[in-house]
Amino acid sequence: MSQAQLIQGNEACVKGALAAGCRFYGGYPITPSSEIAEQMVRLLPDLGGVFIQMEDEIASLASVIGASLAGSKAMTATSGPGFSLMQEHIGYAAMTEVPCVVVNVMRGGPSTGLPTSPSQGDVMQARWGTHGDHPAIVLAPSSVAEVFDVTVKAFNLAERFRTPVIILYDEIIGHTRESVVLPDSIEVVDRVQPTDAPADFWPMIAPDDGVPPLPAFGDGYRFHVTGLAHDERGFPTNDAQVAEALVARLHNKIDAHLDEVIEVDTYMVDDAEIAVFAYGIVGRSAREAVMRARDNGIKAGLIRPVTLWPFPYEQVAEVAAQVDTILVAEMNLGQIIGEVERAAAGKAEIKGYLRADGEPITPTALLEAITPDKEGQR
Amino acid sequence: MSRNEIRIAGAGGQGVVTAGRILAEAAILSGNDATHSQVYGPQSRGGASRSDVVIASGEIGFPLADDIDLLIVLSGEAYSRYEPELSSEGRLVVDSRCAPSDLNGDARQFAVVDTARAISGSQLVTGVVALGVLQALEDVVEADALREAVSARVPRKHREMNLEALQAGMELVGGGGA
Repeated sequence: MSQAQLIQGNEACVKGALAAGCRFYGGYPITPSSEIAEQMVRLLPDLGGVFIQMEDEIASLASVIGASLAGSKAMTATSGPGFSLMQEHIGYAAMTEVPCVVVNVMRGGPSTGLPTSPSQGDVMQARWGTHGDHPAIVLAPSSVAEVFDVTVKAFNLAERFRTPVIILYDEIIGHTRESVVLPDSIEVVDRVQPTDAPADFWPMIAPDDGVPPLPAFGDGYRFHVTGLAHDERGFPTNDAQVAEALVARLHNKIDAHLDEVIEVDTYMVDDAEIAVFAYGIVGRSAREAVMRARDNGIKAGLIRPVTLWPFPYEQVAEVAAQVDTILVAEMNLGQIIGEVERAAAGKAEIKGYLRADGEPITPTALLEAITPDKEGQR
Repeated sequence: MSRNEIRIAGAGGQGVVTAGRILAEAAILSGNDATHSQVYGPQSRGGASRSDVVIASGEIGFPLADDIDLLIVLSGEAYSRYEPELSSEGRLVVDSRCAPSDLNGDARQFAVVDTARAISGSQLVTGVVALGVLQALEDVVEADALREAVSARVPRKHREMNLEALQAGMELVGGGGA
């Protein structure tokens, strides 16, 4: 094992990305994500990688998509205002099935908002910010150590499923320094390569698992990339059946493997009367609040999704069937709470602890919210 | 030591963030778990700046300060902003320049900023002087670990000056703060 080191979430993201094989970074610095660019520009050249500061966030993700098609594992990082600009190319990467990782270190919004303050206001944008029926994988780490693990997982999922993967964390996780012991070795997944001879290869023919092989541009295989609906040869088409099959495959390649994607951490839910649903930094507050509540004799538990999208409906439904109440705590005016309600489907009462003023939700505040008053009401 | 929350609050340019980072690194060198978080405004100089360090013998759950045990304030703005948030059990250390006439009787005051100015000719090492004061008062980390962390964190050409600042902070307490 390596030594414990005091590092920031943004540094852990860089370390995870490089360990997973990232060798291209195209970006435009923005608070509170800038340390990612800062470290990448320092470290990538010595690894034979490339760093480009682009003119804006639209071009940033375009450069990442190009680098990935040329065979490099590639990423960018931004915050709300830049994430808005990236939406166009997130959809393009989903449609063209280009593996890439986009980090959004969330700050207060809307617009330029509160540049140095935390928020979780981009949770629905990460799912639905780009147009059309696209799949989305969105991961939300809640500690510096988990940022490392999730970044590795993001690259692996992007390669495995040929899809953009979004990492969402907030300013607190990005800037807080924690003592971390990084693993000596990690599992690294690489995109599947064609087994056919170049003459027999068509770019969009998918095997049973729905993920077509992806040779690098210039390897000698036929190559056609378009955001238009396309057939198995990669060429544009208006054929309704072909278009329907394509969109269905884009979803199914992920939906058929949810066990590889969905990760949910639960804590003391087995006998709980109330469960707190929280992610990111709020997951840490919630865990502490649950521990203190247990000390006070309150049967509380925690559901903390690491995977926000695809949403863990099944896992939340299971908890909803066990508890009386689920308290959804998030640093926005109510985004993921709607999904919790859908998952619970009336089996548990859903309450919100919502805050969107740029200040964190503290364990003390959550403990108060889960502690019943004299009449037994929460 | 179960959990110790220390807040160093001052102005941009006083080295408050670096000081917090050094303290957390010294805590890890001393065999504890530690976290460091910072709050700052959009501007790069001036304005309020704050560093929170959580130190615990076991694993830290919530990484941010939730109930400050010790508050060190190094500017008037930081005093007005953070002193009211301190609980009745929280201990307070104030730079003499920004201590109000009605300062709480249990609070300690030391000439942190003046000492920093005397050593560096500016406020840059204020945070490190404050670390010396903190160490002499509370002994939260091992003194050798603190020296090692200062040496490792500051630029080589300023190492001696920062070690001097740390020592001067410790001696401020030895001389019996007002």
